[in-house]
Amino acid sequence: MHRTHYRPLETYVPEHIQPCSKPASDLKAAIEAANLGDMWSMILTLDYGVSEVEELSVEKQDEFLNVMALLLKAYQS
Amino acid sequence: MLTRPKSVFSEIGTRAIENGLADPTISAFYEAIMSAPAGKTQEALKEFLPQLSLCSDKVSPLVPPPIFYVGRDSGQRHLFGDDWASPETSTTPLRTPDPDLERISAEAYMRALNDEPYYGYARTVVQAGSQSYEVAFERLIVTLRPSPVADYRICAYLGIIQDLQKTT
Repeated sequence: MHRTHYRPLETYVPEHIQPCSKPASDLKAAIEAANLGDMWSMILTLDYGVSEVEELSVEKQDEFLNVMALLLKAYQS
Repeated sequence: MLTRPKSVFSEIGTRAIENGLADPTISAFYEAIMSAPAGKTQEALKEFLPQLSLCSDKVSPLVPPPIFYVGRDSGQRHLFGDDWASPETSTTPLRTPDPDLERISAEAYMRALNDEPYYGYARTVVQAGSQSYEVAFERLIVTLRPSPVADYRICAYLGIIQDLQKTT
């Protein structure tokens, strides 16, 4: 018997509103707590050309947040 | 028979840059940083950011500072690859994958952090994954404060690969 499985429409999440894999607000708070907020702004502005991380695509947000995670580790080591 | 040491790491000094003997990109970066007005170093960095690697100021005699940013067109990304330069998850600080290179590089970062910008030449064999390469490169390391009130510094590393040969 042929069966077709449909995903309910309400489970579809458009790519542009998919959540980022890392919570940006948590990471930014950790960066601020480590007094590294200047670097958050500097990399975001100079390299990505935006002032808020939410202005980036999901892929670019992930890329930027990975850099910030490395920044935190680099100054905590 | 002519023999040469496996590795050469030599400091040339920034006077060579001022005398026009360095790679043009290194000269331009050095000039931009040294002539930047106080508080304007971020603007000076912008043009060169894709070619830079940025590190923290946490250095010890045998351990260079961890890296947190590897520019899209940087020598380190070219040498070690995108997977190394942009790890999707990281549980440890980012360091070059060659322990010997790490150990030897520490001194240059210490010089830059404790004295003045470091400019030098290196030729060595590096291990990248299962492949080893003989690589020759010029490198300039400058230290910057991201803002006048920042209580930490960043090391900006500009490496220009002059020669790259597979050895195995």
